Amino acid sequence: MSSNKVLNIDGERISGQDVRNQNVTAVAAISNIVKTSLGPIGLDKMLVDNIGDVTITNDGATILKLLEVEHPAAKVLVQLADLQDQEVGDGTTSVVILAAELLKRANELVQRKIHPTVIISGYRIACTEAIKYINDCLSVKVETLPKDYIINIARTSMSSKIIGDDSEFFSKMVVEAMNRVKTIDYKGDVKYPINAVNILKAHGKSAKESVLVEGYALNCTVASEGMPKKITNAKIAFLDFNLQKTKMKLGQKVVVTNVNDLEAIRDRENDIVKERIQLILASGANVILTTKGIDDLCLKYFVEAGAMAVRRCKKEDLKRIAKACGGSVHVTLSNLEGEESFDPTTLGTCEEVVQERIADDELILVKNSNKKSASIILRGAGSVMLDEMERSIHDSLCIVKRTLESGSIVPGGGAVESGLSIYLDNFAATMGSRKQLAISEFAESLLIIPKQLAVNAALDATDLVAKLRSYHHVAQTDQTKKSYSYSGLDLYNGKVKNNIEAGVLEPSIAKIKCIKFATEAAITILRIDDMITLNPKEQQQDDGHGH
Amino acid sequence: MNMNTPVFVLNTNAKRENQKEAQQGIFLAVKAVASIIKTCLGPKAMLKMILDPMGTTVVTNDGNAILREIDVTHPAAKSIIELSRAQDENVGDGTTTVVILAAEVLSSSEIFIEKKIHPHYIIKAFRMALDDAIQVVDQYSIKVDLKNRVEVLNVIQSSIGTKFISKWGDLMCNLALDAVQTVHIQEADGRTEIDLKRYARIEKIPGGDITDCRVIKGVILNKDVTHPKMRRMIKNPRIILLDCALEYKKGESDTMVDITNEDDFTQLLKIEEEYVQRICNDIIKLKPDLVLTEKGVSDLAQHFFVKKGITCLRRLKKTDNNRIARISGATIVSRTDELQESDVGTECGLYEVRKIGDEYFSFLEECKNPKACTVLIRGASKDILNEIERNLTDAMNVARNIVLDPRLVPGGGAIEMAISQALSEKSKSVEGLYQLPYRALAQSLEIIPKILAQNCGANTIKVLTELRAKHATNPQENYTYGIDGDKGTIVDMKQLGIWDAHAVKVQTLKTAIESSVSMLRVDLIASAQSKKQ
Repeated sequence: MSSNKVLNIDGERISGQDVRNQNVTAVAAISNIVKTSLGPIGLDKMLVDNIGDVTITNDGATILKLLEVEHPAAKVLVQLADLQDQEVGDGTTSVVILAAELLKRANELVQRKIHPTVIISGYRIACTEAIKYINDCLSVKVETLPKDYIINIARTSMSSKIIGDDSEFFSKMVVEAMNRVKTIDYKGDVKYPINAVNILKAHGKSAKESVLVEGYALNCTVASEGMPKKITNAKIAFLDFNLQKTKMKLGQKVVVTNVNDLEAIRDRENDIVKERIQLILASGANVILTTKGIDDLCLKYFVEAGAMAVRRCKKEDLKRIAKACGGSVHVTLSNLEGEESFDPTTLGTCEEVVQERIADDELILVKNSNKKSASIILRGAGSVMLDEMERSIHDSLCIVKRTLESGSIVPGGGAVESGLSIYLDNFAATMGSRKQLAISEFAESLLIIPKQLAVNAALDATDLVAKLRSYHHVAQTDQTKKSYSYSGLDLYNGKVKNNIEAGVLEPSIAKIKCIKFATEAAITILRIDDMITLNPKEQQQDDGHGH
Repeated sequence: MNMNTPVFVLNTNAKRENQKEAQQGIFLAVKAVASIIKTCLGPKAMLKMILDPMGTTVVTNDGNAILREIDVTHPAAKSIIELSRAQDENVGDGTTTVVILAAEVLSSSEIFIEKKIHPHYIIKAFRMALDDAIQVVDQYSIKVDLKNRVEVLNVIQSSIGTKFISKWGDLMCNLALDAVQTVHIQEADGRTEIDLKRYARIEKIPGGDITDCRVIKGVILNKDVTHPKMRRMIKNPRIILLDCALEYKKGESDTMVDITNEDDFTQLLKIEEEYVQRICNDIIKLKPDLVLTEKGVSDLAQHFFVKKGITCLRRLKKTDNNRIARISGATIVSRTDELQESDVGTECGLYEVRKIGDEYFSFLEECKNPKACTVLIRGASKDILNEIERNLTDAMNVARNIVLDPRLVPGGGAIEMAISQALSEKSKSVEGLYQLPYRALAQSLEIIPKILAQNCGANTIKVLTELRAKHATNPQENYTYGIDGDKGTIVDMKQLGIWDAHAVKVQTLKTAIESSVSMLRVDLIASAQSKKQ
């Protein structure tokens, strides 16, 4: 290219309309991949990595993460999905589709000689208006809803997933798990930590035989067969150090002149750990969990005391159990005086600790009926399926958390998008500048969601979306028919219905974030008018002689 | 517009298969896997010989064992193979059936995909059918009396019937049942524990005859005594189990001794000797007859033991040590100075070293309360022994399943036919687009009796239609009619005594159908991110 010669760039430079077209093509390609997985009737993607591991998933963020995306603009979209996943945990597919559609329409405007900056500011205004409208008119406070709304939220989020057909079963499980981990922090805010819900996977049985454990499930076994497999009214000690023969730190050497001293050192090595164990047992602990190892030599003390010792627990598991049972994790037994001691108040208590056989594996369950922990043990035909179930459950947990924390919801099934589309269309008419065009394109873009939902369900998208729009139009013009603004698609029957009543719900925050992120990403890409790709620097060839 | 330059969004090397290709690929791959093990079903099953990359051969007809060794590349095939593993882990039987069934269920949906029916409808129909099928299995299951040994044996027999060892069926069934009953512990709080993995060991010794196999209510160790003068037969031995070394071992810390004069050196050697003597004395004080340790025993310690008439075995496996602890009532001790009378095990009736073939084996048997056992199997070659072991594991799992859930369903394809019949009948009342896939699933269950008939060379179409007619005429009465896998005729399973465990059948249905559903949901196969070179 001529410009390259002038600027002397070692690489390629694309600018102006070319780069915009290219970006839009790239983004559309990404959106095309994920768009068939949108909605309750969306399908899954099977991804194979270079060592042949299979992932089957419906989650937009996961699909994009696993695909090898090379185009820089497309990468922006991958990051976008990832951001949505972190911030909200669900809606990753819709955010990508929406961003791609916004970009496509913006590009058409640019081709009609409207400057990108005008489009950008139009989009910004539209986005702000949209969020305002969601908050003012479309959101419903959860207080006004029947009690089971939260189950419906969970169900809506998992309806598109592999567990969608058993959503009744799983949504209850998810909500119960979330309710169990509800905590109130020092500021008085109610928090629902997702991490406190432990998800374990076990092969076999059927999905419906997944169970919610009231307490924490650990993927470990007792250290010795002689230990009891079940302890009621357990007192748990949490250790984060080795129970092994003590040895000197690396590089330290003891030089003794008296040969008898050597023997004394050996004995002491054995005794130190013995004393430690006795210290712990003396405090009344009957379950000992440690992140590190326990020497076989030491197991006997536990066996004799009738205590259960579990080694190699994961540190985060240990911390969570400690939190749930009211104990604290010990990094060492030394106290401030330099002596070793074990404070019985640091023991956690729980009703029952039991080792149970699930499939071909054993799990330790720390059962606690009233404390803040929950575990979900998923069952299913194979590991690929279990992985996808885990992702779906995780998404659902996120959504339930967002809803419980934010306390407002919007109807799902394309209701918000079509409502916004009508509203923004009207709003655009009030703008007397070029931005009007951008805003009305924004309004049009939002309709991609209901359209795609209908297409995936093999329904007549044009017809349905037109119907949906007419409902929303009535809702916004006729004060007596306000409830029409909750109309969304019923994809199973191909009808328009009131989705608040039907229980197809999403947290408002998810929708707001989705529109915000999509707009931001579209704007970022839209601002690009030049792309320079430098050729990779030639690697210095090693001639193999080591000069 | 300049759209001539192609835009590379994805890695150009990455392969991507879209909707139609992907779905067809899955159907093909799954069928291919099923066709490999098709002939391994039923009493007239054939074995497969598999050569693995290391050059060792595996000869088996166990579905899981075959599929484990086969190297497949298609992702769908991989996940089908995983099913048989899940089945093996859960119930330990029916690994072939589950793969065949999953493949058939999946291919029964192929025509609907071709007709452009949305997979969603098929999935929903399959789920409905699964729920109904399980109800049918529940309805047709009968309770077995665990105390009635003959009945239980019959069930195990029908599982073994398809295997290599079917010739010695009676013997094997008894072995499996004995082993399971030995390790079966009913705890006070109602929990049942049957830990076959840990406490029912299978010891394979080449040579001898298959009829020499037996269950030893105790433990066999592939070891001889450490010193030739030690006793090789002890009645009612007092057993001490250790997991520490009976030799001098340096400490863990880095220690060094500066020896400046000669006496110190002899002193040092003396300390080591004294140490060994001291720990031996600790043991000898308790007057054991048998000392077993997981670690080494020095020559000096052996000398002390021989003098006191104590037999000693060294370098036991941890698992063996645990098992001995369980049969003898001993506690494994890790420091000799902590030995107590209560740590000594006395419940074992006999210790004896016997020479089998060219090797010495230590037998610990005739225990008062054996909670662990060893199944000793003999056979002509390693391959045969391995196959017997696999079969026996299956049989033991069947026995375990029955003990845990004493419900049975008729085998020989009878229950599949009965489900198929019941579902076909029910499909008529299923509304909408769901009806056809529902019925297709019902019919795909017929694959099991069909392959049974095929494998024994019967006239498949004739036998199958006849069987279908039989079930259709009076489903409540005739549900036990199935295929006699030997003769290829229709028989009443009640008379033939072929029964399957309820748990196995339910698991098979669930796994097969649920996995087909997850495959049906796929509409794109893409090779994912590869590490940068």
